[in-house]
Amino acid sequence: MANSDYAVPASRVHDILRDKGVNAVTTVPDFIQFALHDRLRADPDVTYVECAAENQALTTAMGMYIGGLEPIIMVQNQGLFNCINTLRSVGIDGQTPLVVFAGAFGREFSNLGKPLAESRRVMVNRTQPVVEGLGLPFYHIETQDDLPKIATAFDRARADKRAAVVHFGYYPAWT
Amino acid sequence: MSMNNYEACAVIHKHRGDALITNTMSAMMAITAVSPSPLNLASVPLMGGASCLGLGLAIAQPGRPVMVLDGDSSLLLELGSLAQIADVAPARFIHFVFNNRLQFSGVANLDRPGRHVDFCAMALAAGYASAQKIGTVDALEQSLPALLDSDGPHMVELEIIAPEKFTKQTPQIDFPDLQFTRMGAEKAAMMEALGTAR
Repeated sequence: MANSDYAVPASRVHDILRDKGVNAVTTVPDFIQFALHDRLRADPDVTYVECAAENQALTTAMGMYIGGLEPIIMVQNQGLFNCINTLRSVGIDGQTPLVVFAGAFGREFSNLGKPLAESRRVMVNRTQPVVEGLGLPFYHIETQDDLPKIATAFDRARADKRAAVVHFGYYPAWT
Repeated sequence: MSMNNYEACAVIHKHRGDALITNTMSAMMAITAVSPSPLNLASVPLMGGASCLGLGLAIAQPGRPVMVLDGDSSLLLELGSLAQIADVAPARFIHFVFNNRLQFSGVANLDRPGRHVDFCAMALAAGYASAQKIGTVDALEQSLPALLDSDGPHMVELEIIAPEKFTKQTPQIDFPDLQFTRMGAEKAAMMEALGTAR
């Protein structure tokens, strides 16, 4: 497969977010999800807030959710590691069904199509075990065939009143 | 020239109206005692979270005043929150910093970093509409109505008396389960009160 086969169209992800009622984003921008950032920033129906650190992205999103908005949080894998305690607080103890979009920054192209656990890079091969170690569901998006997992992540988070993580293994396409 | 947490929260209670209040650390204890309400949300156990919880509420509920009852050490943990609060510039937003210059106020009274930190200067540099340091109950009483009537975000640094700390004969407590469930419970109560429960 070519690398482009792993690039899920950002437009399709955007469509799923609309279907799920998402109308806000908090973010410390992610190197992987630029195409999705671009679309969501341009969407007049989405409140988009840049944050200085991932903890703040999570707590701002929790406040938005309580106030009636439907936010997602967009960070990269390093950012996810950076906010584990806040994720524990808002996404587990605080029972807030926030879906976190995390990009697999640093994933070597030779790992595409292979298990994340076989990546040579710690930030790639430990993300799923850390999230699952917290007891939170982890949905990896490798190809377009995985896109239905995004809706599943929202359904699961809302049913369980807990956070869920959607993990992008490669750059979404600018289409 | 300073006040204690309870005196400050009594003035806030008097003027809060239908304000949403996020709170943390020693201010949490005081506001819970002085002004119990389903419109309170404790950031616990999550030191540092109150400021952006308040920001998120202000974005989603622009018609309501939002008050953040932050700690000095807590704000230092999430100092970047000043940047996004100033960017969003919620109009009806008052960010109180209960400055007692301590970590674990009333328990261990450990020093916090930043002996030379000026919270008001940092807030103004970030882009807050106003910032002031208040050292007495009377001054807070006089200032608060005007702050509620003018566009924010406003920073109010409160000079708080450091309480006596526990002695070595006083054992550290076993925290009750409530400490770990109240954030979720208060979130649910606030959502019921706002009509946003889902």
